[in-house]
Amino acid sequence: MEVLLIKIEKRNDVSRSIYFLTPVLAIFLTLFGGGIIFYILGFNPIEALKFFFITPISDLYGLSELLVKATPLCLIAIGLSFCFKSNNWNIGAEGQLIFGGIVGGGVALLFYNHDGFYVLPIILLSGAIGGMLFAMIPAILKTYFNTNEILVSLMLVYVAKLLLDYLVVGPWSNPEGFNFPETRQFSESARMPILFDSLRIHAGIFITLISVFFSWLILYKTYLGFQIKVSGLSLKTAKYAGYKGKTMIIIVFMISGACAGLAGVGEITGPIGQLHRNISPDYGFTAIIVAFLGRLNPVGIIFASLIVALTYLGAETAQIFLQVPKYTGQVFQGMILFFLLGSDYLLFFKIKFLGLKKNEL
Amino acid sequence: MNTKLKVSEISKIYPGCIANDKVSLEFGSGKIYALLGENGAGKSTLVKILSGVVKPDEGEVFLNDESIKLNSPQDAKKNNIGMVFQHFNLFETLSVFENLSIDSDKKDEDLRVLVNDILNKYNFKIDLDIPVLNLSAGQKQKVEIIRCLIRNPKVLIMDEPTSVLTEQETDDLFISLKQFSKDGILIIYITHKLKEVLSLCDEVAVMRKGKVVSVSNTIDEKIESLANKMVGENLNTIKKKIKNSKDSEEILKISNLNFKSEDPYETNLNNLNLSLKKGECLGIAGISGNGQNELFQILSGEIITEGTSIMFRNKEIGKLNPRERREFLMAFSPEDRISQAAVPELKIYENVALNNFKSSNFFEKGLVNEKKIKEHSKKILTNFSVNTDNVELKSQFLSGGNLQKLIIGRELITSPELLVCFNPTWGLDVGAINYIHETLIQINEQGKSSILISTDNDELLKLSDRICVIYKGKLSKIMNADTVTAEKLGILMGGGSID
Repeated sequence: MEVLLIKIEKRNDVSRSIYFLTPVLAIFLTLFGGGIIFYILGFNPIEALKFFFITPISDLYGLSELLVKATPLCLIAIGLSFCFKSNNWNIGAEGQLIFGGIVGGGVALLFYNHDGFYVLPIILLSGAIGGMLFAMIPAILKTYFNTNEILVSLMLVYVAKLLLDYLVVGPWSNPEGFNFPETRQFSESARMPILFDSLRIHAGIFITLISVFFSWLILYKTYLGFQIKVSGLSLKTAKYAGYKGKTMIIIVFMISGACAGLAGVGEITGPIGQLHRNISPDYGFTAIIVAFLGRLNPVGIIFASLIVALTYLGAETAQIFLQVPKYTGQVFQGMILFFLLGSDYLLFFKIKFLGLKKNEL
Repeated sequence: MNTKLKVSEISKIYPGCIANDKVSLEFGSGKIYALLGENGAGKSTLVKILSGVVKPDEGEVFLNDESIKLNSPQDAKKNNIGMVFQHFNLFETLSVFENLSIDSDKKDEDLRVLVNDILNKYNFKIDLDIPVLNLSAGQKQKVEIIRCLIRNPKVLIMDEPTSVLTEQETDDLFISLKQFSKDGILIIYITHKLKEVLSLCDEVAVMRKGKVVSVSNTIDEKIESLANKMVGENLNTIKKKIKNSKDSEEILKISNLNFKSEDPYETNLNNLNLSLKKGECLGIAGISGNGQNELFQILSGEIITEGTSIMFRNKEIGKLNPRERREFLMAFSPEDRISQAAVPELKIYENVALNNFKSSNFFEKGLVNEKKIKEHSKKILTNFSVNTDNVELKSQFLSGGNLQKLIIGRELITSPELLVCFNPTWGLDVGAINYIHETLIQINEQGKSSILISTDNDELLKLSDRICVIYKGKLSKIMNADTVTAEKLGILMGGGSID
């Protein structure tokens, strides 16, 4: 039997420009792959892709919706970049988002009869703290009991989801709501200010932009950022340099959880205005793709969040105009990650074909 | 069944090092053969060639006078050559039996009968249906041995098998090996432990620097004679002027320090005691894997111990982490320069910033002071003649020698009172080695102290004022370097004792 010998070698140096261009390549490959899928489904691929990626943002309302979706995605991804850069695999941002929503929503319900400028900041702050505390569970279990943060953070997502379910069905459900699984509508002073009349874009976008700026500052200009960078590249070196590993794990989870919690509370005080079962269309999971597509770089994450937000919108228009299920959006998100990982592999490794060889087995 | 194994004129050349230089050896069944040598002597390469993992550049292997080709581990298995590596290749969560059946083509029922026969015959007590992770290191090794025995091996190669075993388990292993030998299996036993050679083996081949330097019957050998052959006598060429530091101030004192690791591949340290005077270099010799790593980490603060067990200039530092110890003017150069002492993906100045302490002002109020770090880095590059002046260069583009100069420079530019270094010249060319050696001599002349943990005896004898040997996590008594000979070191490194 003859076998093809293949050798996989690590590339020595990867140029910085190519490193940031591969995500763009991944997006083009996704478009191409998506075109093929639409073709197989019997659509004209160009037309279908136009419905998916151009139509949704061809008017002002569409652009506003794009920003509404990108706002939480970007914020969560920014938080996650702290974890991922330091080799902490927090994949439970969805749970931290929901828990932040629960805490923030609870406070909003508490202030149901209050008016005043102070109401919204208190709600936002409590949401951020909620997400932060929820993220500290996997962090503390990891540092003191050596558990795997991937599993713990993921499982806590379901805990948060079930807790939300229980609250909106039971104790927190709207007394005048005919037993619908939802809370009261929050009062006006508990809502995010809307930026333009008749559009849904809200002040949360400023929170996101401020967070982007501060995360850039922390990651690139502070001692903490330097420690995160070193720990991400080599834990052995971090230990040798005397960085307090446990404290750092807890800090990055706290930052990440606070961002996710803030995103959650931004959703319920922004576009949603109450708590119900589905306050997030898996923003917390999709933000993982956003973080990697943006190369864990604050500016990159802004662009990545816009592109991934577009897949949400595209799925909705495609559902209306092409009668395909809205889960096509997730197919596109999956393809982006798939192609990104694929091109990354080729970026960091080269494959050598050593020709055919007789196998004597 | 008579088995004869012969290697003839085997050579294997790696870039910059001849691992095997025309090695010829003959083995016959009924005897246990020892292959003895220091780290890097070429034992492992030879074993890898015999097990098909590495292909030789030249030479042939004969089994019962027939030339055999060993292009892959499968070829070795086909020729009934079995191999038990130092690190086990077992799936921890699978049961013992599942581990055995994975690479066996027999039916499960037949295999179970066969395995039970082996268990009974050699009096092994292992429950086949519990997960491997519940086994002790000795039992795991038995599973690996059974895996070889299933295939009716003619040759069984054991690579440093006792490094993870307790004394009792070692005794059991020896009994089994002698039984295998009686049953006609040819056994090749790789080790650097002299006592084991004498108590177990019939013949011993000593390797040094890729060559076989002697083959003899163990009956004719003593610990001293083997040590001499293993370490060689071409030592003591350039030696530093040894200082008598008796009256100087004591700078470091370790008393009754114990370290017990949960990791079976790590070495426990038992009752360490040492003291270091100002301006002297203490050399710590030993074959690698005898606790040097753990000792370095205890000195650097990567492993934290009781506060009082380590005193540095009369302060308790046992509980401090590496950064806190740097504040007391200690400096550390680890063995692994590529993934521990420096990060290849980081720029030179970022790697310099790893050695951060209060007075350096690299980070002020939590912010990075890039200008300060870069200035400091430039100074290191010039003072320690690193072959670049670009502090923005990624460290992966520095050669090993230049990277080591950068690391030593980073550690020394703060004028520390104590430098702890672990194999500082490992893998470097002669020029870089000389530079590092000169630097290390210089710091002693300036009244600073150093601890040199090294597996290179030439280096130790050249640089140390006093020397001790670490063996199985225990330190020998500390000797003045001028009374130490290569022979003495060799005996202590192999676990022997001297008066």
